[in-house]
Amino acid sequence: MAVGAKEKADTHKIALKGSAKTVAEFFEYSINTILFQRGVYPAEDFTPVKKYGLNMLVSSDDQVKSYIKKIMSQLNKWMMKSKISKFVVVITSKETGEHVERWQFDVQVFGKGSKQKSSKQEVESENATPGTAELEPEKTEVQIQEEIQAIFRQITASVTFLPMLDGNCTFNVLVYADADSEVPLEWGDSDAKEIKNGEKVQLRSFSTTNHKVDTMVSYRLLD
Amino acid sequence: MATASVSTPLKSHHGIFSTKTAGGRMPLTPSPRARTTSIATNVSTTPSPFTPPRPDRSIHKRETSTIFSRSVSRSVSKFAYAQSPKSNIAKCKKSPKHLDLGVSDFTLVGTGPSTTTPSRERLRKDTTVRARGGKTTIRVPHQTADRFIPNRSASEGIVTAGSAKSDENSRPKTSSSDTSSVLNGAFGISARNADADITAALDNLGLEDDNTTASSRSHSSASAYESTLASACGISTNQRILAFKPAPPESSKPIDLRTQYNRPLKQASAQSAQFRRRIQSAPERVLDAPGLVDDYYLNLLDWSSQNQVAIGLERNVYVWTAESGTVSQLLEAPADTYVSSVKWSGDGAYVGVGLGSGEVQIWDVEEGTKLRSMFGHDTRVGVMGWNKHTLSTGARSGLVFNHDVRIAAHKVAELVSHTSEVCGLEWRSDGAQLATGGNDNLVSIWDARSLNAPKFAKKNHRAAVKALSWCPWQLNLLATGGGSYDRHIHFWNTTTGARVNSIDTGSQVTSLKFSNHYRELVSSSGFPDNSLSIWSYPTLVRNVEIPAHETRVLHSCLSPDGQMLATAAADESLKFWKVFERKAGVSASASREGGIGKGGQLAKQMTIR
Repeated sequence: MAVGAKEKADTHKIALKGSAKTVAEFFEYSINTILFQRGVYPAEDFTPVKKYGLNMLVSSDDQVKSYIKKIMSQLNKWMMKSKISKFVVVITSKETGEHVERWQFDVQVFGKGSKQKSSKQEVESENATPGTAELEPEKTEVQIQEEIQAIFRQITASVTFLPMLDGNCTFNVLVYADADSEVPLEWGDSDAKEIKNGEKVQLRSFSTTNHKVDTMVSYRLLD
Repeated sequence: MATASVSTPLKSHHGIFSTKTAGGRMPLTPSPRARTTSIATNVSTTPSPFTPPRPDRSIHKRETSTIFSRSVSRSVSKFAYAQSPKSNIAKCKKSPKHLDLGVSDFTLVGTGPSTTTPSRERLRKDTTVRARGGKTTIRVPHQTADRFIPNRSASEGIVTAGSAKSDENSRPKTSSSDTSSVLNGAFGISARNADADITAALDNLGLEDDNTTASSRSHSSASAYESTLASACGISTNQRILAFKPAPPESSKPIDLRTQYNRPLKQASAQSAQFRRRIQSAPERVLDAPGLVDDYYLNLLDWSSQNQVAIGLERNVYVWTAESGTVSQLLEAPADTYVSSVKWSGDGAYVGVGLGSGEVQIWDVEEGTKLRSMFGHDTRVGVMGWNKHTLSTGARSGLVFNHDVRIAAHKVAELVSHTSEVCGLEWRSDGAQLATGGNDNLVSIWDARSLNAPKFAKKNHRAAVKALSWCPWQLNLLATGGGSYDRHIHFWNTTTGARVNSIDTGSQVTSLKFSNHYRELVSSSGFPDNSLSIWSYPTLVRNVEIPAHETRVLHSCLSPDGQMLATAAADESLKFWKVFERKAGVSASASREGGIGKGGQLAKQMTIR
């Protein structure tokens, strides 16, 4: 029995790791997609990459690439430890310094809240017939990919209703992390960079075995 | 009575409040106005009676003993809310202070927030009026609505007040039958409108609110502030918002999004970012070149295939060995003349030195000895070029001589074309053609087999032509750059004599060098830019412009491996630039080994110390 429990714990860990990786990867492509779709960098700086069954555009500019890489490497670490509850890309006007658009990705970690639950389940699983331990059928990789694809399609489509940006914009990345997270020097406390009088639009979500990610864009209403 | 008018969200609140599950404050998300209206109605019905008893409770909760203070705080909170319901945080911060002030000093509170004082007065009046007459109260309700909104996000003090009010309102509505509750509700409404009424209402409300708030939020002001902040931001207090601090890279150019939505899948000619190479814009190394003559018509800098740099400084020629970083003086010219040109032989063993007197000397650098002097010119020799054992020298007179350095009767040819000082001279790498440029704005292209007359004489430039460079990947392509009045780079097909391209650089072109590795050339410029520009060929796009020197760049030469460019300028400095740096993964097509104008010697990896 103990062996079985240990095995289970291991698989859980692996699942969490893989799930965190999926989410982090999703964030990376999200940044690139937003930078491309919202014209933060010129279109010719992006090259198409097949991903999620789509042609995802990722930056091929060395500086942008390394900038995103730096963000992602830290994000990966936090994701592995389930420290993150929100990931935000804020687009700011260079001229006025005003935040004009805010893409927010809410992360729910199933493992965190349901830890006691899972232990309970284990107790109960002693009585249950073997094989029924997993109550919910796990999503297949393909299903997750499709969900993510749907989000990217939506992000791309949202360009149609988002206000025109003048092209003179820059971006910032925010992360809502637990207070006990390890914070490297390059990251510092910030305000939420909310859009004043912003309009909010909830986009699709996707979920893996351990995470659920909700997408929301808020943007400045035109006066 | 009032209940009918209440909107759905209000109803829910009422239900909660009526049950007196005070512990959890209801989020006041629903539209405040609806509530207010309902409240107002309540108020009108049930006025003052409750006001007096409530204050005590409210005081306890708020720590402010005086009713006035409470009223003040409420009024403040209300105003803040009314002004900007959405930005709760800022208001919250202010509100606690206001409350404290109010407690300590009545007058202070009133004066401090200008909005608050009038509100108090109004409120008091309103309360009194309302208690006695329902009409006044009715008007008030709208204001209350505004106050209501803030309550949700408000700081502790505000929160308590607001919550209390809200609770009261909700309670009366829910349990309209209970007179007490109705009264409370009325008070609450009045309180919102009028401070006095509010105080009473607050007491009642405060009790309830306090209970609710206490359970849900911490009483301490700091924690309350944090929590309000947090709630306003939609986060819990055990979270931090972290921003990645480094500034994101600048966009390489402004973007018009409209073109982005409707663009071809494949960009026709625009270089995509992945192929764009980065060029260091800082010099790799800077050396002093004291005494460098500021004369456009001289050629005082050359880099040998053996990785040595020769530079002529007034009467001296120094040799700087890149491998070791050592400098040695090669020669010192007689006092009555100066060094006007230096040029390494193709094998890098010898250096030709032209003097102001017209004498040409050949030095063995390793031995440090002069091998021979060649006379013939009677004016200064400003430019030289080696083609194997042939040394071509151009002089101020406009004459170009070819010397066979191996034989005693060294002068083998006299090239007559220029009528003014020759300042540019370059052999093609295969030795079949020679290009010369002069102060007569003429570019002459010579066929090595027939030197009686130039094959082509091009008069397109409108100023002296010093900058000449043969293209390493297309032998019959020659680039020439004109002086300060001309500012153009022209590209020639030396087989047909046709001009194939031109660039207006915007400044005097002092030297030109094609890259061995990239389809690019670098030009150095004088006034007004004093910069280095790297151009793509044949697109003629300026890839980068490097502000190189403080004064005009006089000479430039490429290292034997073709990666480094040395420039000497009138600011008496010699700078090394890694402008054609090769990366490990560069494809063979992009890289072109083999020296251009270096006697066909294979380039070597080199280091600079």
